[in-house]
Formats: sequence, structure tokens, C-alpha cells
Amino acid sequence: MIHLKNIEVGYANPLFHAEDIQLETGKVYALIGSNGSGKTTLLHAIIGRKHILSGTVFVNQKDVRLQSQKELAKNVAFVSSKFEGVEHLTVREYITLGRAPHTDAFGRLRPNDHQQIDYAIRALCIEEFCDRLTQEISDGERQLAAIARAISQDTTSIILDEPTAFLDYGNRKRLIRTLHYIAKELDKCVVFSTHDIDLCLEEEIALLLIDQSNGTLSVPFPISKTEILAKGFNYRQE
Amino acid sequence: MKWKNRDVYFYTFLLVTLVLASVGHLFSGVIPITFENYSDALWDFDPQSTPQLIAREFRIPRLVISMLAGSALAVSGMLMQTLFNNPLAGPYVLGINSGSSLFVAFSLFSGFSIFSSDLGIVASALLGAFVFGSILLGFSMYTKSQVSLLLIGLMLGSFTTAIITVLQSTTQAEELKAFTIWTMGSLQHVQFEQLPLLLLIFSGALLLCLLLIKPMNVLILGEKTTELLGFNIRKIRLLTITITAIFTGLITAYCGPIAFVGLAVPNITRMLFRTQSHGKLLVANLVNGALFLVLSDIIIQLVEPIVTIPINAFTSLIGAPILMLIVLKRIR
Repeated sequence: MIHLKNIEVGYANPLFHAEDIQLETGKVYALIGSNGSGKTTLLHAIIGRKHILSGTVFVNQKDVRLQSQKELAKNVAFVSSKFEGVEHLTVREYITLGRAPHTDAFGRLRPNDHQQIDYAIRALCIEEFCDRLTQEISDGERQLAAIARAISQDTTSIILDEPTAFLDYGNRKRLIRTLHYIAKELDKCVVFSTHDIDLCLEEEIALLLIDQSNGTLSVPFPISKTEILAKGFNYRQE
Repeated sequence: MKWKNRDVYFYTFLLVTLVLASVGHLFSGVIPITFENYSDALWDFDPQSTPQLIAREFRIPRLVISMLAGSALAVSGMLMQTLFNNPLAGPYVLGINSGSSLFVAFSLFSGFSIFSSDLGIVASALLGAFVFGSILLGFSMYTKSQVSLLLIGLMLGSFTTAIITVLQSTTQAEELKAFTIWTMGSLQHVQFEQLPLLLLIFSGALLLCLLLIKPMNVLILGEKTTELLGFNIRKIRLLTITITAIFTGLITAYCGPIAFVGLAVPNITRMLFRTQSHGKLLVANLVNGALFLVLSDIIIQLVEPIVTIPINAFTSLIGAPILMLIVLKRIR
């Protein structure tokens, strides 16, 4: 669960602010905004990598700035837009690394860790390539492996930075459906930034829109594509 | 860490080879020494017997230091390659040895006998390795290019050579001699009595390595991901540089610089074992490093009647071409 309270996001000057936004478990949110609108900055604030200008980000009811690196790793997982794969590393070994915040100093796996890993593999239906090398599978498969790694981390929230950016149309649609599925079935709070507005509308994903017209972040009620383009991207059709 | 059949065969093969090579090493000198001489030299030493004296004062220390040096340098190389995400990294090419050389020069030329004692030399070699390791770490935060880091290592080396040249021209003959002998260093200058201290420091550093296995396994995903998986990246860097400094400084103190072992062996090991599990890689590098130097030293001893090759020159002969191969095949 993520709670944004009175936050102002930006660098020297604020880009946008949000008064009081609750992101719940069991739901998936698509963060939408134009280039340079502060999407990545917001995601990085949630995972504790960057600080916001003012206000507080709560993850599991606790201020992220007050959480240690290790504590935060148990509460929120992060997936970047591209995982390149690592030489000699199999998909299963890669997913195993998601257990790192939970294992002891030597990284020994207990039965529970194996369960979580198998669970993540089954949830994403990637059994068929989980013993292959991470460098040998396709971009789409690698992105699924990265999400499986985040699931094995066993956090309440998963943050993804443009997970669809390097995928083809079919894989984009599949990935967004997968995110929807894991949010609902595994009861996680999933937030991802994206430019795939059409797909999000088709799949009825909740939107998190950075409104350029008044500099606010909001979860708008069902909204049309024309409105999104006007508010988020300052674009009006002739 | 799951051990597959293939791994088990591999390790058994390498271990057996290492044992055979060690036995071969003990019996490959010019003067014949029997098995009995060796057991007497260890358990029932008679200083009057020449073969026993040779066994105890020359052969055994030489074998032990070959194994320790190979293992220590190979493990250092492995740690540095993972930390810097760079297959070209190694204690020699990145100039960690140079740090040791520079600090040993300082302490020998200082004129204080405390610094030029055995322990003084080891301490200054460790400190020098640590200081240069830290400098390198500083640079690595500003440049992500794999080749740039190598160039910085080369520059550290040239810089050190320059300072040492200046020091040499202003120093007393006696101290100069001590330093020159040290720089020529080889596997032959270690004494039996020094082995316990060597083994103690080596084992200490090896125990610290165990703490790095888990972070190293995650570090292959990059520093950012490692942080997000709950690790303190500064601690990992500091621990890695400390261990590398202990290993490299220790070996440099006793043997002088030994080139390319730390670069070549970890690369060969990764190719052979095809794994990123640093638990396995640690064991494999310990064995392969020892094997590499023991075999090298056997060859050196075999050709000794014809030509004398210093260990540093020999490892360069093999290591430099391997470095070139890696640059061609793996560097972006």
C-alpha cells in the first residue's frame, strides 16, 4: 500500500503536487504523463532512491525516508524498463535473487524461499523457459522474468518503470494483462509508468495522471482519450 | 547453491590435478629430495642434513607460497571483476600492486628499522594496496567505461614508478639494495618460519570473503538493483577493497608483483564453470589460482638449467595475450 501525502515532485522547481492519494493493494495503476513530467522521479521517490521536494511518501504506513534499505526492500519491489540478461545466469537463478532481502548473510535458501520462487514462476506461467539462460530468451520473456523476480521478493507493492517500452504490441498487451492479474490474484499494489494510453483504456486500468494544466497528480474518474491528451500532454485535436 | 554432477566432476578433477601438481612441484628441483626427507623435515627436523634443510627452507615454503599467491590473486581478481562489472579488472592491471610497491619503498627508505622489518613491510604493503584500491574506487564512481578504469590503473602504475625512481636517486646504498632485492621478489624468498603468519592472514581474508558471496551474487545485476534489494553498496565496496588489499598486499609483500594471475584465472574459471554463483566461483578460483601458479613454477624449475625466468615474467608471457583476447571478445 502506498500513500502520497501533500507531496511536491520536481527538481529546482516543482513539476506537480498531489494532495492525498491512496494506492491500494489488489489494484494496478498506470502512471501517465508527458516526457519530463516527473514520472520516473515519482517512482524513484516511492522506492526511496530520490527525495521529493516536500510532503511524505508512505509505503506500508511508514515514511520511506525512515525505512532502511533492507526494510524497504521487503515492502516494495522495483522493475526497470529493461533487463539485459547476465552471462551464465539462468532465469530461475535470477528469480532467486529476489529472495535476497529475506535470506541470511550467506544467502542460504529455506523451504519457504523455494516455495516463493516456485510460486512466482507459476504465477507468471514461465515454467517452460525458467531453466534457460537470461541472455538467450526474448525481451518479452526477460520482462516476465523480471516481474517474477519482483514477485519472489514478496512485497505488498511493485513499481515498474515503463515496463512496456521495449516490447512489441502483442507483448505489451500481454504484459499489462499480467500486471492486472498479479495485482488482483496476489493482492499487490502495482504501479507502472507507461505511454500506452490506448492499451490501458482497453484493459480498464486505473490511471494516475500528471495533469499539465494545473500541475497536479490525480486518479481521474473514467476519462476519455481526448481528455487525457488535453490534460496530460497539452494536445488538442483540430 | 546447487551442485550439479558436472560441477562435482570438474572440482574433483581440478583438485586431483592440484594434488598431483603439488607433488610434482616438490620433486621437480635440480637436487633430488626423497619423500622421507620431506616427512623428516616437517616432523623430525635435523638441521645437519642438507636434503632436509633444502626441503624445509626452500621447497616447502616455495610450494606453499605458490599456492597461496595463486589463490589470493585469483580470488582478488574475481571480486574486483564483479565489483567493477569489468572482466579486465585485476589487482595487477588496476595498479593495486603499485600501491604496495610505493608504500614498501617509503618504509624501506624511511631509515627507521621498525618500518623495514618483516612485519613493517607487510603492513606497508597492505596499507599501500588499500590506499590505491580506495583511489581506484573513487575513480570508478565517475567513469563507467571499462577501458577508462584500466587506463587509470596504468597511470597509477606509471606514477608509482616515477616516484620510486626519484626516491632511489636520493637514497643510501644500503636501503636501495634492500628495496631492489624486494622488487625482484620471487617465490623463493619466503622462509619456513614466515609461513604461519602468511597462512593466518590469508585465512582471515578468506573468511571475510564468505560475507561477500551473497552481495556478489546480486551485484551482477548492477549496483542500483543491488541497493533496491536491500544491500548497502558502500559496505560492499569497502569490504571488497579491504579483502583485495589484504590478499594483494600480502602476496606483494612476500613475492613482489606477480602480473596477470588475478586477471586471467577468474576469466578462465568463469568460462569453464559457466556460472554466476560466487560460492562456486570462490572455490573454483582458489583451486585454479593455486594450480596455475604451481604449474607455472614447475615449468620455471624445469627450464632453470637453460634459462632463469622470474615468476612475474612468466605469468606476463601467458597473461598478456589473455588480456588481449578478452579485450577483443568481451569489451564493449
